[in-house]
Amino acid sequence: MMAWLKSFTLAPQFLWFLWLLPVIVILYLLKLRRTEAVISSTMLWMKSLQDLTANSPFQKLRKNLLLLLQLLIILLAVFALARPYAKMEGLSGSHYCLVIDHSASMQTLEGEDGKTRLELAKEKALELIDNLERGDKAMVVSFSENAEVKCEMTDDDYRLRAAINSIEPHDTRSNIRDVMMMAASLSPDNPDIPSTMPDLQLILLSDGQITDLEDIGARARDVVFQKIGETSYNAGVVALSMRENDSQDEMHQTLVSLYNAHFEVIETTLTLYLNDSAIGVEEVQLAPEGMTDTVFQHPDFQEGMMRVELDLDDRLAVDNQAWMTIQPAQVIKVLLVSDTNSSNSFYLKRALGVISDVELSEMSPSAYQTIEGYDLTIFDGFAPEILPQGSSVYINAFPKLEGLLPGEVIEAPPILGVDRKHPVMRYLSPENVGIGSATQFAVPPGSFELMTTNGTPLIADVSRNARQLLIIGFDISDSDWPLKLSFPLFMQNVVNWVPRTSTSAQQFVQSGTPIEFAAQDNESELSIKKPDGITSNIVVAPTHPVYYGDTALVGAYSVSQGESRYSIAVNLSSIEESNIKPSDTLSFGRGTIQATQKPLRTTREFWPILVLIALIILQFEWWIYSKRAWI
Amino acid sequence: MSPKSSTPSLLSPAFLNKLDRMALLAKKVKPGVSKGERKSLRKGSSIDFADYRDYVQGDDLRHIDWNIYSRLESLYIKLFEEREDLTLHLLIDASESMKFGSPSKLDMAKQLAAALGYIALAGHERVSIEAFSEHGVQRISPCRGKGSIRKLFSFIEGIESGGDTNLEKGSDRYLMRNRSRGVAVLLTDFFDDSGFEGAVQRLVLSRSEVHMMHILAPEELNPKLTGDLKLIDSETKTFAEVSMSRALLKQYEANKIGFINSVRKYCTARGVGYVQLSSDAPLETTVMHLLRGGGMVR
Repeated sequence: MMAWLKSFTLAPQFLWFLWLLPVIVILYLLKLRRTEAVISSTMLWMKSLQDLTANSPFQKLRKNLLLLLQLLIILLAVFALARPYAKMEGLSGSHYCLVIDHSASMQTLEGEDGKTRLELAKEKALELIDNLERGDKAMVVSFSENAEVKCEMTDDDYRLRAAINSIEPHDTRSNIRDVMMMAASLSPDNPDIPSTMPDLQLILLSDGQITDLEDIGARARDVVFQKIGETSYNAGVVALSMRENDSQDEMHQTLVSLYNAHFEVIETTLTLYLNDSAIGVEEVQLAPEGMTDTVFQHPDFQEGMMRVELDLDDRLAVDNQAWMTIQPAQVIKVLLVSDTNSSNSFYLKRALGVISDVELSEMSPSAYQTIEGYDLTIFDGFAPEILPQGSSVYINAFPKLEGLLPGEVIEAPPILGVDRKHPVMRYLSPENVGIGSATQFAVPPGSFELMTTNGTPLIADVSRNARQLLIIGFDISDSDWPLKLSFPLFMQNVVNWVPRTSTSAQQFVQSGTPIEFAAQDNESELSIKKPDGITSNIVVAPTHPVYYGDTALVGAYSVSQGESRYSIAVNLSSIEESNIKPSDTLSFGRGTIQATQKPLRTTREFWPILVLIALIILQFEWWIYSKRAWI
Repeated sequence: MSPKSSTPSLLSPAFLNKLDRMALLAKKVKPGVSKGERKSLRKGSSIDFADYRDYVQGDDLRHIDWNIYSRLESLYIKLFEEREDLTLHLLIDASESMKFGSPSKLDMAKQLAAALGYIALAGHERVSIEAFSEHGVQRISPCRGKGSIRKLFSFIEGIESGGDTNLEKGSDRYLMRNRSRGVAVLLTDFFDDSGFEGAVQRLVLSRSEVHMMHILAPEELNPKLTGDLKLIDSETKTFAEVSMSRALLKQYEANKIGFINSVRKYCTARGVGYVQLSSDAPLETTVMHLLRGGGMVR
């Protein structure tokens, strides 16, 4: 009985006050102050009493309204103290962190009424705020490319609602890392900070398409994942690039990668525009739930803004277009320090030679002295005493750098790991490359191991401050790598990796990532006009580059910097965001959580109702007592 | 519930005038002790001729009808109707419980006794009256004739209540002293823990015509008690702790009706007249209708 009572009370210790009930009865029976009345004879009364009590031993009690009411009041009061609760829609706990995804995929239209997922998520969040109990606190965090605390922990409903309503959609990817780190710092299990929120509950309102999910070591049980959205009807442009056509001179190719998130084939047309004039139309058939590539052949336009548009009325519009800036090729000065007759020199010259914007100079190691003016210096089997300005690549050579320790030579190391997220290794699959021998080396902390074998890197990014350094731990001619396709691509990546004097050289920037601006000729002011027409001015210091972070909108950003005018393309180009099919599970580093679309269940306490009833009964009892109405 | 402090003058003169026109009705004429106004079954010495019978030796010569003898030459004794009186036995329960009610049951009993006694005395009947309880017996010698009315009334007025009820013992003691048959009237509330049956039985066995006047106070007929009470019996001092409720009152009502019916049934089964009345009933109406209807007076 007690266990059953305890199962729906929050403060069951107060249930011990139930012993007041028998006490009341005993007091009532013992201390009932009866008015004495002398009557002629008790004969008939005695008989009546006997008759009544013969029927039921508790008749006297049952018929005694006042006692019953008092017992009822005590019962209600004790139960009110024990804080009974009922399972209701809403939240459980008393501290909540509402995490609302406002990335590009949350702009997907859902249902007949065409509400976006973000609107649905906001509605749900407002509903949850409505269900907050007195004393509950909540905070609101929105996240897309970055997380933002819209409202810190508060019990002010008005502020919470305002914060939720202020969340605007972003055309960016969704990264949850910041949110998770913040949640971990608030979490009751955090060993570093004594938590003031022992019952913090993280409520994630998202469609589950989160880019950096697998990197996160969050514990899944901290998160309640409310899945928003159902539809999957969307196709989008996820990659756009232009290159010279190898076979046809003077012709260029624009490669468009399209992703179809729908479970059926989508047939539509893809149009290529240059400065808003259509220059090509392709019929495309998009394979279900996969990638489709389309190539446009066109002349080299030298300069302009290229745009592709998918002619499709799907549920997510933001990924139907992509932009790309075409700029006259900017020359990158590369110095190759190598034995001019070696095979390495041959392979490198050949690989670098096809890259259109490379201006290659060559120098033998013996003739090398520190020369300024090169963007990239490639050292083959030789490391200078003084590191050169700009970026540098060391092939089978190790510069004097703190923490960089070359070791023994190992034979035929297999390639066991490749970090494809690093820009240098992007799009490469060098696993089948055979290496004759390599020098083991240890990298300083903060470096990236780009290609690894057993316990040692083969290629490492050991960049220091603004100086980019790449170490290749083996002689490329002692491997079959130069004969593979991945080698020229690797060199292309290395050249692309080298910082340019102007960001405009990039074809496009991913939305949400900052754009770097460097000062030109001491011109300290530049203005940026976003696709929605809003212009902002920023001051560029001559010594340091400036990062412009307001790239939440996709489209062409017009920049005017002094005399020069140019455009920067900002694209979503994310498979995760174009794949709008909501995820039923979230796989974190340390566990998987199931999505729920049902309203969250929570407890709603109803002790105030019990107190109210008790007060009403108390009034009623007093009225009965004063009136003796029914007895 | 409190007993009345003073007894009002028993009967109004106007009511007494009405009573003058009434007479006790005894279905069985009982032989009296003294010569009275009531025609006896026995032949007696009144002036009303009744019958003749043959002279037998020893008869009073004065009663021989000499006119018959002169014509028939036979001796006949002339018989006359005997005129006898009737004894009205008034037994008043003067126990403590009779003190209750407004007006009190004892007041009602006194007034009824006075009315019946007046009718009897006015009709030249003998009236024997006694008020009894366990506390003691209050009585006067039997009286007769209108001249005794004052004596009777002053006795009745002086009756005081007190003590427990024991109807059987009280009746028994009375019958031991008063053996003459007549009309016996017991005025009581029948609240006797030892039972009322014995008293009725004794009176019936005395071969008198017995009438029971069951007087109950309005408070007993329709109790207006509320709350949690400790009801104390005025006589036995025993108490009953009750919490008034509808059910209890309903039960009381049922028990009250059952009690009245049981007394009525017991009496009628033994040819005993039974009248149940409330102490606040108007006296005149009670006497005129209830007693007349009950066959006690005419």
